[in-house]
Amino acid sequence: MANKKLCLALFSGSVDKLTAAGVILGGAAAEDMDVEIFVLLQAAFAFKKENALTNERVAEITDKKDEFLASLKRLEAPHWTEAFKTAKEMTNVKIHICGFAGKVWNGYKIDDFIDLADDIVGIGEYMTAAEEADINLFI
Amino acid sequence: MTQEELKALTVDKSVDARGTSCPGPLLAAKKAIGQIEKGQIMEVLSADEGTKRDIPKWCTKKGYEYLGTVEESGYFKIYLRK
Repeated sequence: MANKKLCLALFSGSVDKLTAAGVILGGAAAEDMDVEIFVLLQAAFAFKKENALTNERVAEITDKKDEFLASLKRLEAPHWTEAFKTAKEMTNVKIHICGFAGKVWNGYKIDDFIDLADDIVGIGEYMTAAEEADINLFI
Repeated sequence: MTQEELKALTVDKSVDARGTSCPGPLLAAKKAIGQIEKGQIMEVLSADEGTKRDIPKWCTKKGYEYLGTVEESGYFKIYLRK
Protein backbone atom coordinates (compact mmCIF):
# COMPACT_ATOMS: atom_id res chain seq x y z
CA MET A 1 0.00 0.00 0.00
CA ALA A 2 1.34 3.45 -0.92
CA ASN A 3 2.28 5.80 1.88
CA LYS A 4 -0.17 8.56 2.71
CA LYS A 5 0.90 12.05 1.73
CA LEU A 6 1.05 15.21 3.83
CA CYS A 7 1.45 18.58 2.15
CA LEU A 8 2.46 21.41 4.47
CA ALA A 9 2.39 25.03 3.34
CA LEU A 10 4.71 26.55 5.92
CA PHE A 11 4.23 30.32 5.97
CA SER A 12 5.24 31.17 9.52
CA GLY A 13 8.78 32.08 10.47
CA SER A 14 8.03 32.08 14.19
CA VAL A 15 9.46 29.57 16.63
CA ASP A 16 6.10 28.69 18.17
CA LYS A 17 4.52 27.71 14.87
CA LEU A 18 7.68 26.05 13.59
CA THR A 19 7.79 23.98 16.78
CA ALA A 20 4.18 22.93 16.22
CA ALA A 21 5.08 21.99 12.66
CA GLY A 22 7.94 19.88 14.03
CA VAL A 23 5.54 17.99 16.31
CA ILE A 24 3.20 17.27 13.41
CA LEU A 25 6.14 16.12 11.31
CA GLY A 26 7.01 13.70 14.11
CA GLY A 27 3.53 12.23 13.88
CA ALA A 28 3.86 11.95 10.12
CA ALA A 29 7.24 10.25 10.50
CA ALA A 30 5.84 7.73 12.96
CA GLU A 31 3.24 6.76 10.37
CA ASP A 32 5.70 6.64 7.46
CA MET A 33 3.89 9.37 5.58
CA ASP A 34 5.47 11.07 2.58
CA VAL A 35 5.76 14.76 3.39
CA GLU A 36 6.22 17.75 1.14
CA ILE A 37 6.90 21.07 2.85
CA PHE A 38 6.70 24.35 0.98
CA VAL A 39 8.56 27.14 2.75
CA LEU A 40 6.63 30.33 2.02
CA LEU A 41 7.30 33.98 2.78
CA GLN A 42 8.09 34.41 6.49
CA ALA A 43 9.21 30.80 6.89
CA ALA A 44 11.95 31.45 4.33
CA PHE A 45 13.43 33.96 6.79
CA ALA A 46 13.63 31.25 9.45
CA PHE A 47 15.23 28.83 7.00
CA LYS A 48 18.07 31.23 6.13
CA LYS A 49 21.38 29.88 7.44
CA GLU A 50 22.07 32.98 9.52
CA ASN A 51 18.61 32.97 11.12
CA ALA A 52 17.62 29.37 11.84
CA LEU A 53 19.23 29.04 15.26
CA THR A 54 19.11 32.66 16.39
CA ASN A 55 15.53 33.54 15.45
CA GLU A 56 13.37 33.61 18.61
CA ARG A 57 10.31 35.41 17.27
CA VAL A 58 6.92 34.07 18.29
CA ALA A 59 3.62 34.66 16.52
CA GLU A 60 1.13 34.20 19.33
CA ILE A 61 0.90 35.21 22.99
CA THR A 62 3.94 37.36 22.41
CA ASP A 63 3.88 38.83 25.92
CA LYS A 64 4.69 35.32 27.24
CA LYS A 65 7.55 34.71 24.84
CA ASP A 66 10.19 34.32 27.57
CA GLU A 67 8.01 31.86 29.50
CA PHE A 68 7.32 29.91 26.32
CA LEU A 69 10.98 29.64 25.32
CA ALA A 70 11.97 28.72 28.88
CA SER A 71 9.34 25.97 28.91
CA LEU A 72 10.70 24.49 25.69
CA LYS A 73 14.11 24.28 27.38
CA ARG A 74 12.67 22.87 30.60
CA LEU A 75 10.87 20.15 28.64
CA GLU A 76 14.02 19.50 26.61
CA ALA A 77 11.97 19.93 23.47
CA PRO A 78 14.19 19.69 20.41
CA HIS A 79 14.74 22.89 18.45
CA TRP A 80 12.43 22.93 15.44
CA THR A 81 15.37 22.32 13.11
CA GLU A 82 16.17 19.14 15.06
CA ALA A 83 12.55 18.00 14.89
CA PHE A 84 12.52 18.55 11.14
CA LYS A 85 15.85 16.71 10.81
CA THR A 86 14.55 13.74 12.80
CA ALA A 87 11.47 13.54 10.58
CA LYS A 88 13.67 13.64 7.49
CA GLU A 89 15.73 10.77 8.85
CA MET A 90 12.67 8.66 9.59
CA THR A 91 10.45 9.17 6.60
CA ASN A 92 10.39 10.73 3.14
CA VAL A 93 10.34 14.50 3.73
CA LYS A 94 11.12 17.01 1.02
CA ILE A 95 11.53 20.66 1.91
CA HIS A 96 11.06 23.14 -0.91
CA ILE A 97 11.88 26.83 -0.64
CA CYS A 98 9.49 29.09 -2.57
CA GLY A 99 11.62 31.02 -5.04
CA PHE A 100 9.77 34.28 -4.42
CA ALA A 101 9.99 33.88 -0.65
CA GLY A 102 13.69 33.22 -0.88
CA LYS A 103 14.27 36.40 -2.84
CA VAL A 104 12.26 38.44 -0.32
CA TRP A 105 14.91 37.52 2.25
CA ASN A 106 17.86 37.74 -0.16
CA GLY A 107 18.10 34.01 -0.56
CA TYR A 108 18.79 33.22 -4.19
CA LYS A 109 20.54 29.85 -4.00
CA ILE A 110 19.76 26.68 -2.05
CA ASP A 111 23.07 27.20 -0.23
CA ASP A 112 21.63 30.35 1.34
CA PHE A 113 19.32 28.11 3.37
CA ILE A 114 19.92 25.46 6.03
CA ASP A 115 20.86 21.99 4.84
CA LEU A 116 17.36 20.67 5.56
CA ALA A 117 16.10 22.47 2.46
CA ASP A 118 16.18 20.35 -0.68
CA ASP A 119 15.51 22.79 -3.49
CA ILE A 120 13.97 26.06 -4.65
CA VAL A 121 10.67 25.74 -6.51
CA GLY A 122 7.77 27.68 -7.99
CA ILE A 123 4.11 27.59 -6.99
CA GLY A 124 3.31 24.93 -9.59
CA GLU A 125 5.13 22.35 -7.50
CA TYR A 126 3.00 23.27 -4.52
CA MET A 127 -0.24 23.03 -6.48
CA THR A 128 0.65 19.55 -7.73
CA ALA A 129 1.65 18.35 -4.25
CA ALA A 130 -1.49 19.82 -2.70
CA GLU A 131 -3.69 18.09 -5.26
CA GLU A 132 -2.05 14.74 -4.60
CA ALA A 133 -1.91 14.96 -0.80
CA ASP A 134 -4.19 13.11 1.62
CA ILE A 135 -3.71 15.87 4.19
CA ASN A 136 -3.12 19.56 3.48
CA LEU A 137 -1.99 21.97 6.20
CA PHE A 138 -1.21 25.66 6.26
CA ILE A 139 0.85 26.87 9.20
CA MET B 1 -4.71 -8.63 28.73
CA THR B 2 -5.13 -8.18 32.47
CA GLN B 3 -2.75 -6.04 34.51
CA GLU B 4 -1.28 -9.20 36.02
CA GLU B 5 -0.71 -10.72 32.59
CA LEU B 6 0.93 -7.51 31.35
CA LYS B 7 3.21 -7.35 34.37
CA ALA B 8 4.21 -10.97 33.84
CA LEU B 9 5.21 -10.45 30.20
CA THR B 10 8.77 -11.07 29.12
CA VAL B 11 9.63 -8.21 26.81
CA ASP B 12 12.06 -8.42 23.93
CA LYS B 13 12.68 -4.69 23.78
CA SER B 14 12.21 -1.91 26.31
CA VAL B 15 12.16 1.74 25.28
CA ASP B 16 12.55 4.37 27.99
CA ALA B 17 11.09 7.62 26.64
CA ARG B 18 10.25 9.16 30.01
CA GLY B 19 12.48 12.13 29.39
CA THR B 20 10.68 13.25 26.25
CA SER B 21 7.45 15.00 25.39
CA CYS B 22 5.16 14.34 22.43
CA PRO B 23 6.08 13.21 19.81
CA GLY B 24 9.23 11.84 21.48
CA PRO B 25 7.77 8.58 22.86
CA LEU B 26 6.04 7.78 19.57
CA LEU B 27 9.22 8.41 17.61
CA ALA B 28 11.22 6.33 20.09
CA ALA B 29 8.74 3.49 19.58
CA LYS B 30 8.97 3.88 15.81
CA LYS B 31 12.78 3.68 15.91
CA ALA B 32 12.80 0.67 18.23
CA ILE B 33 10.16 -1.39 16.46
CA GLY B 34 12.60 -1.93 13.62
CA GLN B 35 14.94 -3.71 16.01
CA ILE B 36 12.55 -6.56 16.90
CA GLU B 37 11.06 -9.39 14.91
CA LYS B 38 7.42 -9.99 14.09
CA GLY B 39 5.74 -11.61 17.09
CA GLN B 40 8.14 -10.11 19.62
CA ILE B 41 6.99 -7.85 22.44
CA MET B 42 8.06 -4.29 23.16
CA GLU B 43 7.32 -2.02 26.10
CA VAL B 44 7.40 1.76 25.94
CA LEU B 45 7.95 3.74 29.14
CA SER B 46 6.48 7.24 28.99
CA ALA B 47 5.42 10.02 31.31
CA ASP B 48 3.68 11.94 28.52
CA GLU B 49 -0.08 11.53 28.90
CA GLY B 50 -0.77 11.69 25.16
CA THR B 51 1.29 8.56 24.56
CA LYS B 52 -1.47 6.44 26.12
CA ARG B 53 -3.64 7.19 23.11
CA ASP B 54 -0.91 7.63 20.51
CA ILE B 55 0.63 4.18 20.79
CA PRO B 56 -2.65 2.17 20.54
CA LYS B 57 -3.71 4.19 17.48
CA TRP B 58 -0.27 3.86 15.94
CA CYS B 59 -0.43 0.08 16.51
CA THR B 60 -3.77 -0.12 14.71
CA LYS B 61 -2.47 1.85 11.73
CA LYS B 62 0.80 -0.08 11.48
CA GLY B 63 -0.65 -3.54 12.07
CA TYR B 64 0.86 -4.15 15.51
CA GLU B 65 -1.07 -5.58 18.44
CA TYR B 66 -1.59 -3.23 21.37
CA LEU B 67 -1.57 -5.37 24.50
CA GLY B 68 -2.30 -2.85 27.25
CA THR B 69 -0.96 -0.22 29.62
CA VAL B 70 0.30 -0.51 33.19
CA GLU B 71 0.34 2.56 35.43
CA GLU B 72 3.43 3.11 37.52
CA SER B 73 4.32 5.97 39.85
CA GLY B 74 4.71 9.05 37.64
CA TYR B 75 4.85 7.13 34.38
CA PHE B 76 3.30 4.17 32.57
CA LYS B 77 4.33 1.17 30.52
CA ILE B 78 2.67 0.43 27.20
CA TYR B 79 2.97 -3.07 25.75
CA LEU B 80 2.66 -4.11 22.14
CA ARG B 81 3.42 -7.09 19.94
CA LYS B 82 4.95 -6.54 16.51
